[in-house]
Amino acid sequence: MTAIELRDVTKEFPGVTAVRDLDLAVEEGEVYGFLGPNGAGKSTTIDMVLDLVRPTDGTVTVLGRNATADSVEIRRRTGVLPDGFAVYDRLSGRKHVEFAIESKDVDADPDAVLDRVGLLEDADRKAGGYSKGMQQRLALAMALVGDPELLILDEPSSGLDPAGAKDMRDIVREEADRGATVFFSSHVLGQVEAVCDRVGILREGTLVAEDSVEGLRDAVGGEETLSIEVDDASDAILAAARDVEGVSRVDRDGTTLVVSCESDVKTRVIDAVEDAGAAVSDFHTEAVSLEDLFLAYTEGDGPTGTTERDASTGGDDPTEGSVEDDAATDPEANADAVNGTDDEDATENGTENASGDDGENDSGEDADPETAGDGFVRSDEVDE
Amino acid sequence: MSLLAVANKDFQDTVRSRGMVLLVALFSLLVAAFAYVVRPQGDGANEFATEVLLSFFVGPYLVTTLVPLVGLVVGYNAISGERESGSLKLLLSLPHSRADVVFGKVIGRGAALSLAVFAGFLLPAVVLIAAPVSFNPGAYLGFTVFAAILGIVFVAIAVGCSAAAATGRQALIAAVGVYVLFVLFWGVLTGQILGAFDGVIGALPATSREIGAFLEVANPRTGISVLSDAFLAELLFEGETLNRQISAAAMLVFWALAPPLAGLLKFDRDDL
Repeated sequence: MTAIELRDVTKEFPGVTAVRDLDLAVEEGEVYGFLGPNGAGKSTTIDMVLDLVRPTDGTVTVLGRNATADSVEIRRRTGVLPDGFAVYDRLSGRKHVEFAIESKDVDADPDAVLDRVGLLEDADRKAGGYSKGMQQRLALAMALVGDPELLILDEPSSGLDPAGAKDMRDIVREEADRGATVFFSSHVLGQVEAVCDRVGILREGTLVAEDSVEGLRDAVGGEETLSIEVDDASDAILAAARDVEGVSRVDRDGTTLVVSCESDVKTRVIDAVEDAGAAVSDFHTEAVSLEDLFLAYTEGDGPTGTTERDASTGGDDPTEGSVEDDAATDPEANADAVNGTDDEDATENGTENASGDDGENDSGEDADPETAGDGFVRSDEVDE
Repeated sequence: MSLLAVANKDFQDTVRSRGMVLLVALFSLLVAAFAYVVRPQGDGANEFATEVLLSFFVGPYLVTTLVPLVGLVVGYNAISGERESGSLKLLLSLPHSRADVVFGKVIGRGAALSLAVFAGFLLPAVVLIAAPVSFNPGAYLGFTVFAAILGIVFVAIAVGCSAAAATGRQALIAAVGVYVLFVLFWGVLTGQILGAFDGVIGALPATSREIGAFLEVANPRTGISVLSDAFLAELLFEGETLNRQISAAAMLVFWALAPPLAGLLKFDRDDL
């Protein structure tokens, strides 16, 4: 059975079409990341799933039932963390959870669920005095009450600090392991890669891409950019780099060679350059960052290939260059350098390979710790 | 049950509101002051009973002006406020129908207001017991019940407006309008209407006077006075004002149900 199914759904507000002919299917048991920039129609879509807003055209089916006619029954089996909500200022955190328990007519222990989201100590304080992140945790606690079959989380990490965002991901994963379907929206890709089975990208009310994160990455172009600082960037050196199998393009930027290549031929490129007589003083690599991937779908005309990241990550700065240099040969070192001491987060963000190894993954040894770190930090900036 | 869950939540939320506590304190002090000021001095003391105080002073001057105000203040923000703050999203993320939300709020806030009215009548009771007046607890308690009913009716009207309003501002304006209509201009307005429809009324099987009398008790304030006066005179639902009392009671039920229903009709269709 599909947990959420939208067929040809259009929603028009006065003067604006928020969602246009949207088809979307979320399978039971999967974790689906619903992405898009602000204003793409994510919240409108979720509001239609929850019957806060009725579609102008098309049908919305949730857990096999009509979203408008059977909304109460749907919400009985669904946990929702809404976006842009407010708590009841005068009621304590515990009262909120008790209200959710009473509303869903289930037998649950408020303390257990408060403990799970890390709010037990503050449970008796008035929720009006909670920080934004605590209010977010409280709403998540209310959503988790009664072990719902479907969890709908609208921008779940907004207002959360990095530790809170990690807790959120852990809970999403636990819920998925329990068998729940998780549907969550985000405008930050960094949160998505770690937890999603599938991703859909919404742009101007239309789904422009739907695939696994790896699939999307491949579609955009899985190549990496290798920048090599040499003493002599002569044509012969360029030609040597170009001759390596797996290299698609080599450009010269002063004494820097900018090589587009498959991720597993980088060391061969460097060897070839040295064999041709150049002395390599520095090098670093860039993967397709999640940010680039996201922008490619939401701003460009679809997949456009690797875009350059801004100059601040370039090799001009000797300190940064040496970090990147280390990173190229030691992925763990890079993870640590980018994320401070929190090695675990880098692994988390890396990929879904849950085997818990050291930050390596299948898309290239040094690519993901770097981009994951980047996406992670960026996500917090956006959220604040 | 969903309706009661909403009612319970709203009750707890409302009784914790500072505005509510302030209004109750004000009300209580005023009633107590009235009781103290108009307490009879000297010889007539024993004949000046609770009933007289309530029926001639507290009823017309305090209860029917202040209790509607408190009811509107308690109710006008019920749904529009939650809609504006965003807590309605949290509320509707739980399995509540919009009808449960509207009527749950009428019940929860009506209960909170009733509690406030009873609390507000406590201090005056102490004054009356202390004063040399023959205090009739039964009459006093019964009168409090009528005051609470009046408050609940105005809570229902305000919640209905709140459900229909798209913004808190609209709801506030509607509540002020309701107060002005029922407390200040009801007589003038109904008189104008009767005058304007003189010709139409002539064709109906009722006289202008009968319709005027009905419109008078259709105001919940008058309705409650009719009923509470009859109660204090120990003639509730009997005696020569029986027809007036029945009309009054019917209209109170109407005002308690129709505005929330009308508000729900709009609220149920809205995109939130």
